[in-house]
Amino acid sequence: MSGLEAFLAALTPLNLLLAVIGVIAGTVIGAIPGLTATMAVAVLVPFTFGMPPAPALILMGAIYTGAIYGGAYSAILLNTPGTPSAIATTLDGYPMARRGDGDLAMTLACLASVAGGLVGALALLTLAPPLSQVALAFGPVEYFWLAIFGLSLISALSEGSLLKGLAGGAFGLLISCIGVAEVSADVRLTFGSQTLIGGINVVAALIGLFCIPVLIDLVATPGRHLHVAAEPRGFRLAEAVSVLMRKKVNLLRSSVIGTIVGILPGAGGSVAGIVAYSEARRSARPGEHYGKGDPGGVIASESSNNATVGGGFIPTLVLGIPGTPPDAVILGALLVQGLRTGPSLFTEKATIVYTFIWGLIIATVLMLPIGLLLGRYAYKSIITLPKALLVPSVAFMTIIGTFAIRNSTSDVVIMIILGVIGWILGRFGFAAAPIVLGIILGPIAEQGFVQAWTIGSAQQDLVGMFFGRPISMAIIAFTVFSLASPLLMRRWRLKPEIAHVE
Amino acid sequence: MAPRRRFTLGLAGIVTAAMAAAAVAYPTKSVDYIIPFGPGGESDITARLQQPFFKTMFGQDLVVSYKPGGGGAVGWAELNNLPGDGHTIMGVNLPHIVLQPAQKKVGYTTEDLTTVYWFHFTPDAIVVKDDSPYKTLKDLIEYAKANPGKVTLSGSGKGTANHLAQVRFDKMAGIKTTYVSFAGTGPSNTALLGGQTTAAWGYTTSAAALGEKARILAVAMDKRHPKYPDVPTFKELGFDLVSGAYRGIAVPKSTPEDTRKKLSEMIGKINADPQFQKRMLDGGFAMLDIPYEKNAEFMKARSAEFIEAAKEGGILN
Amino acid sequence: MSNEHQPTPAGDAGTAIVAASMVIFGTLAITDTYEYFDFDSAVFPRTIAAALVLLALVILLQWVAQRTGVSTGAETGEPVESGGSWPRRIALVAAMLGAALAMPWIGFQVTALIAFAVLLVVAMHDPWTPARLIVYPAVGLAIVMGFYFLFAKLLMVPLPVGRWFA
Repeated sequence: MSGLEAFLAALTPLNLLLAVIGVIAGTVIGAIPGLTATMAVAVLVPFTFGMPPAPALILMGAIYTGAIYGGAYSAILLNTPGTPSAIATTLDGYPMARRGDGDLAMTLACLASVAGGLVGALALLTLAPPLSQVALAFGPVEYFWLAIFGLSLISALSEGSLLKGLAGGAFGLLISCIGVAEVSADVRLTFGSQTLIGGINVVAALIGLFCIPVLIDLVATPGRHLHVAAEPRGFRLAEAVSVLMRKKVNLLRSSVIGTIVGILPGAGGSVAGIVAYSEARRSARPGEHYGKGDPGGVIASESSNNATVGGGFIPTLVLGIPGTPPDAVILGALLVQGLRTGPSLFTEKATIVYTFIWGLIIATVLMLPIGLLLGRYAYKSIITLPKALLVPSVAFMTIIGTFAIRNSTSDVVIMIILGVIGWILGRFGFAAAPIVLGIILGPIAEQGFVQAWTIGSAQQDLVGMFFGRPISMAIIAFTVFSLASPLLMRRWRLKPEIAHVE
Repeated sequence: MAPRRRFTLGLAGIVTAAMAAAAVAYPTKSVDYIIPFGPGGESDITARLQQPFFKTMFGQDLVVSYKPGGGGAVGWAELNNLPGDGHTIMGVNLPHIVLQPAQKKVGYTTEDLTTVYWFHFTPDAIVVKDDSPYKTLKDLIEYAKANPGKVTLSGSGKGTANHLAQVRFDKMAGIKTTYVSFAGTGPSNTALLGGQTTAAWGYTTSAAALGEKARILAVAMDKRHPKYPDVPTFKELGFDLVSGAYRGIAVPKSTPEDTRKKLSEMIGKINADPQFQKRMLDGGFAMLDIPYEKNAEFMKARSAEFIEAAKEGGILN
Repeated sequence: MSNEHQPTPAGDAGTAIVAASMVIFGTLAITDTYEYFDFDSAVFPRTIAAALVLLALVILLQWVAQRTGVSTGAETGEPVESGGSWPRRIALVAAMLGAALAMPWIGFQVTALIAFAVLLVVAMHDPWTPARLIVYPAVGLAIVMGFYFLFAKLLMVPLPVGRWFA
């Protein structure tokens, strides 16, 4: 049932229409900072009640994959990840747009997202039951080390001053502790403020730290927001494809990383993007300047985050454990439909499952033409909109988007204040990216640590718990390797890397 | 608190009398149902299960929205500032609304919340992997007695219903186990299936989500759960443990008495629908019917119970 | 824009002020951790706060060393993005904060329109021609209403109606 038959079942006009609608709506929602893939799917749930399971699933899968892709738009054009998954896209996407390669970056993002999405979906189609074991192999201590590995990217990101990068990371980790603690229900670091009990929302922090500094500097000068080439160069599709072919190893590696991270229930698109980006950066060849607008950064981040869509469905459908937050919502919708997930789903309800997986693949392929067109349109709007309109529009979007995260005006105030703090820190060489890494990875590191410590103490084997498990040992080795490799590379190379000169 | 309470009730009485002449037309537009947690959790899922029934029974949309933060505290602290015409309702959870204000300042007190209906609960349960060597609760207790502290139990967080159950059960059985706190039932289940912990203190719902990959050793219900006729209750095994996480609905304080009663009737009607019940039971939930009139009494009993367990568990001074 | 900033040399006073603030924040965080019920919730923030204080102190020491050291020569780089209008920057932040605070009282739509109009003026670097006077506000109105429709009607976000009007 996994082959042609299911493919044809997915190809009904209704399903195709739903996939198109889902991808378009998802891309638009994902492109608006504040509206995440989780929200996009949640909004859709009531509409799926009246539908049969397969089309309902296809619609939700399409909107989900579209939203993850759409996050790249604002990441590239406004330096603001539209969804948390697109954090790593800003690191090279925005510098590309600034220097006039925004069109290329948008096309690359589309191609990479489709490729990554397909790798994830194919893994779901062919290897779901065995791969679901990955979700179980990862215990608390593995999550802890994974977070540490993600944090090690700080050393690569802070070329100017490692100290400032580390301080920024620590600052971000502390921010992640504000509010009611996940591990123990203590109220932390609110300093008596009622507003802070809910903690600092990750998405609000992202919008503040990334977008507000851009706005503050945008409003101050009359110059253009992005550099624009003299004559329009269309999609630059041929160029993008040739870049992609040159970086096919990066593309494949990032897609695989995305699929695996997607399977892990404790991590999502943002972690996938960070891990894939940091691997791409570690294996950079001479002449690739990550962080300065290298297309490889966009490819790594975008292919990996879309691969998490297919990857995340693996534990969701096989084990009944949601791989990513949007999967949790989809799982709930399935329950309302009266569909029980679990190993039996693949045998008893094989028709529905495989129709859905093929639907997801079709939606991902459809994302190519739709994404190219929407991306072109978004790019054109941003470069043609006069500054006097661009500034209020973006400001307005950040406010309404932040409000929508949890329907709270306090979040909007927090977002703006964090933005101002981020702008001040940025002026003195404390970049936003390490702070954001801290905020994202903090909870994963802390919970993993406390849980591993508790279990390790109970088993009276703390050393074995933290250092004796095979997957942990591999992650630790990778971390050490990626910390040491810039130093080693520098020694090896005859010509020293000219990293600081632009 | 008592005098103030009487005063509010008195005031509500006057309002009721004044309004009794005009029969309450409710709901007249879509009802905003705020879940103080993120999407995808059990509170969300139950709301989603109620949603289609509300629409067919009462002709208006039930619009689910989320206001997560502070383990629900952010939403509950704001409830009384919302318009009180019955078209804004919010999910409430026990033991959260008892323990949070008892533990620290969270912007609301338990008495601040006007609960209208408690419609179900998820009974606490000890869950093990399908291939676990512990076939019965007795096996687990024996092992725990021989190895104090070594049995690890994953759970959905400190101060949640299943944590309190762990504390109380340890005392009843005279054992010492280690509670490992995870961020919700999802991660707790994953740890269980991955063999990271010996067993899990979960709910019947979490076991239902895992299907044949997990076994329940015992449930904290009065009678056996219809979905699990072979699983004994703690009571049968000699431990007086009936507890779980309760879910209900609250309204802003300014909501008129008549509307509260009407809403209570409406939720009761959904709860009575056989098709709705079937879906809930299939999901591992246990039905409960505490209408508006019985709320005060119910809250009093539960509060006392949870506070006592929390004190024993060392999470309350 | 922050990723793009060239890190300024540690020589400027701003770095010192930021580092000092981090020391204070870290210290406050450490004292906060002693009030928790559960040791589990204190371990992580206390460790991180200590690391933050330590890192910030090293940055401070570097700064002091450079100031009092023999040569400061190459380390006095110019501040980033020195140009640009400060009144406009401040007005932007003030308008956004004002909008966020006013929204619960006067409602979303009114706030959004006022804030948009203010920011339009703040961000206007070109001269106002009659055509712009008509087109820009019209486009602004369309954007605000479009987003309002998308959020309130399609996504069903309960945007504030305003306590004064409700």
